[in-house]
Amino acid sequence: MTTKNEDLGSSPQTTSDPDNTATTIMSSKTSAQRVPPPEKPEATRARFKVIAAFWAVIILLGLPIWWKTTSIYRAHLPFQEMVDWADGKSCRPVFPLEIQIAAPSMPDPEAQLLLRTTQHTLDDLNEFSAHHLRLKLTEDGDNTGYIKEETHEKADTALTVRLVPQDNLPTPRSELSPETTQLDVFYSPNQSPVPSSSNSPLSTFIAGELQRLFSEEKATIAHILSNGHTQLSENISRRLRRSLKYADTYHLAFSLFTPGPAPSSWAVQEAIEDYLSPLLQAFAPISNFTVDTQVQLYATFSPTAPLPEFVESQSAWTLKQEDLSAFVNAAEWPLSPSIGSGPTINFLLYVPDPSQSPMVVKENTATSWIIPQWGGVFLLNPPLPTENPSNPPHLSKDSLRPAFMTFSHQLLTLLGTPTTPTSLPFRLQTLIRIRAATLLLSASSTMGSLARLTESLPSIPIPATVAASVSTTLSHLSATCTHLREGRFSAALDNARVAETEAERSFFEKSMVGQVYFPDEHKVAVYLPLLGPIGVPLVVGLLKEVKRIVKGLKGR
Amino acid sequence: MLVDRRKAAVFGAALVLRLLLWVLFPSLPDLLTGRVEVSTPVNSFKRLQEGLFMYTRNVSPYDGGVFHQAPLLLPIFALLPNAREYPLPTAIFYSMVDLANANALVTISDSGQALSGRLHSALRKHVRYDGVAVAAWFLFNPFTIATCLSRSTNVFTTCGILYAISNAGSGNSVNAMLALGFASYLSIYPALLFIPLVLLCYDRRVQKTKASSNAAVFSVQYFGILLGSVAGLLGISCLIVADFWQFISATYGFQLLVPDLTPNVGLWWYFFIEMFDSFREFFLGVFWLHLACYVGGLTIRLRRQPLFVLTALLGIFAIFKPYPSISDASLYFAFLPLYRHLFPLMRYTFFTVSALLYATLLGPAFYHLWIYAGSGNANFFYAITLVWSLGLSILLADTVFAALREEWEQDNPELRGKDIRQV
Repeated sequence: MTTKNEDLGSSPQTTSDPDNTATTIMSSKTSAQRVPPPEKPEATRARFKVIAAFWAVIILLGLPIWWKTTSIYRAHLPFQEMVDWADGKSCRPVFPLEIQIAAPSMPDPEAQLLLRTTQHTLDDLNEFSAHHLRLKLTEDGDNTGYIKEETHEKADTALTVRLVPQDNLPTPRSELSPETTQLDVFYSPNQSPVPSSSNSPLSTFIAGELQRLFSEEKATIAHILSNGHTQLSENISRRLRRSLKYADTYHLAFSLFTPGPAPSSWAVQEAIEDYLSPLLQAFAPISNFTVDTQVQLYATFSPTAPLPEFVESQSAWTLKQEDLSAFVNAAEWPLSPSIGSGPTINFLLYVPDPSQSPMVVKENTATSWIIPQWGGVFLLNPPLPTENPSNPPHLSKDSLRPAFMTFSHQLLTLLGTPTTPTSLPFRLQTLIRIRAATLLLSASSTMGSLARLTESLPSIPIPATVAASVSTTLSHLSATCTHLREGRFSAALDNARVAETEAERSFFEKSMVGQVYFPDEHKVAVYLPLLGPIGVPLVVGLLKEVKRIVKGLKGR
Repeated sequence: MLVDRRKAAVFGAALVLRLLLWVLFPSLPDLLTGRVEVSTPVNSFKRLQEGLFMYTRNVSPYDGGVFHQAPLLLPIFALLPNAREYPLPTAIFYSMVDLANANALVTISDSGQALSGRLHSALRKHVRYDGVAVAAWFLFNPFTIATCLSRSTNVFTTCGILYAISNAGSGNSVNAMLALGFASYLSIYPALLFIPLVLLCYDRRVQKTKASSNAAVFSVQYFGILLGSVAGLLGISCLIVADFWQFISATYGFQLLVPDLTPNVGLWWYFFIEMFDSFREFFLGVFWLHLACYVGGLTIRLRRQPLFVLTALLGIFAIFKPYPSISDASLYFAFLPLYRHLFPLMRYTFFTVSALLYATLLGPAFYHLWIYAGSGNANFFYAITLVWSLGLSILLADTVFAALREEWEQDNPELRGKDIRQV
């Protein structure tokens, strides 16, 4: 008992305690073991404090932590603007092409008249209003064939028409220069328009020529802008099927495959520099390229592939055209599907074994073919020495020339360059306009998808980086639209490329995508099993305590 | 001088045993250093050596992302010769730290706080071990020996905690706060011991001076001392490492945010491997709060026995802290013999001991099956850590029950020896 008295004596509530303990002892004696002695108020208070201590930690620390760590940050996105872009309400892409007419030998009023009549004829012929040609006289007549440097004020010149008078021509004749965007029109002076008639053979001819030159581009752009609802000619749709989807960066992989030990080296660096780099530089405004090369010796056909047959009449080993799809041994040849981000375009140079050389395609004795959306193949049959035939150990730059010429042609096709007309700069300019249209639409539709996604899933977070990307995209989209309207297509493509990259980045933001597949029901699955075991005793303890307090208040 | 001779014999035998193990099995320390049960990312000797290597070459020790321990350890260890070439000085140093820890335990036991305090006096005072027995229990515990051989830096935290408690028990409140500041500086969680420790100091002060001062003012004063000691140690650290924030994020940030999920005997690693990323921060908060929320409840309920609250909290830390190792368990086990008088009231001793032995023996085996043999998976080892934690939890609950039962018997002496029943 001494210990107990000490104990109680030191506790602050000493005054009523002796009585209390006395009654406790009395009651517990009478009720034997059946009923436990009633709790002392001290113990009740201690229990209340313990429960309060736990709940204080939960409320003062737990709730703020819960709020801080599970609240979702949703940056503000301009939904309406994004949807407007996707619906095409914000921008109606137009392609006003500026065509310079240089008529150095024609007097100015006559040239003005020619311009007017030709423009009139063109407008009559044109049935697709988004894409129209605008004729303009060159101020400086000598400045012909010169592609204007891209400036921010002036529109790109799509084509320069140079009128060259020539005697004794029954009808006008035109000639497109293959290296520049210049069309020479030869005419005899009597074909030039006279003020009295509204039409002249020359203006009709020029209008017809221009219409013909731009027909493929016009059809392609109409197809893109209508989301593929217009009918395309067989030629264009075949080209679209073959070409790869647009990417900012393409990886070009050049591979030398041979079934034997030779050739074991090739002058690929020089060949690429000489034969391919000019083309890649010309493509610089549209896409970037990285180049990889590899040499694979002892590369055999796949065991299931049909073997080449020897044909006496052609004195060559031949591959059937329908078997060409099995030519590439995809299982064993190390042709990686993709290096980093962006698609890979594979170019295969195959040097057949001397015992199977020369190797050609049976039907047309061709030595190269294209594999749509994948790359190209070239069969190189080096000249063999007559005695002891073997492949040369090294392929020189000159022997690679036909192969790389073919590869550059294949690259143009794979990148979706239009097939007509013959001038390469002209085709590249057409490609710039087509890509600008494609990217404008694709970035706009990505914006629409992002807006729909974030609206339909209110539980996913929207990081600030996404909001920044969206605003960059939108500003570049409207810049693209302005540039298009004013005919500055290179600038438009530059902006469209930025818009597309940013749009893709915002749409595929990792922290957002991870949450897309995490519905709210899963949160119950996270919280309940983990917090249930802790929560139940706490809540039950709290309820009991509340009940006791309410009882005490009522009793009073 | 009989007692002193016993003490010298126990301490000498412990020292000889450690050095013998070092000399007879030279590969044993390195083996233990690599064991996940002993070495965690925050106390591994290997990582310390990595930090030391960078420190001696004037590179920030935290640059490699490997070292996560307090920078003050570096100059101390830089004084010792290279542990790989001359293992003996390090061995002697660690053994000495162990002996110092044991000495602190002797002081705690001799202060008698476990048996009777200001508000409390045990009923079974005669059932007790003396200080030397308590020290022997600590020194010859295989977990302690393994910790010592593995050269885990946890021994310094243990040292800080033990000296804080022994100083509080003998009434040197300021020294107690300084020691606790040292332990908190090394690994944050000992700071949670502040409230029961300051109550212990307060009780001793009131017992000694017989004049009760205001407990709140007393706590605030000593909290200031604790903060001052931690701030002082951080200030010295600033002199050692150039980039203060790198040091904070590499040590305390690492312990708070638990980025390294290397397996250990605790419950955190597996949970955070499996947890959805978006809930990671939330459950970090939940786990830390879970660790912290026992302080208030236990202190209030067992207000009469602050030393027992400290013991129970050490047990909770051994189970629920982020990077526990067997050294935390050995610290908890070291305090249990102080409560020899509670052993008769414990009910699940056999089950607890079996579970702990079972986990101790099967843990390394399952880890081997998972990592080296490849015939098991992570769940094997995780299951055994659950058993280990279950064993510790039952032991903890059992001792807390025994302490409460003893308090109950003090209050109701006529009910002593009656069976307990739930009502």
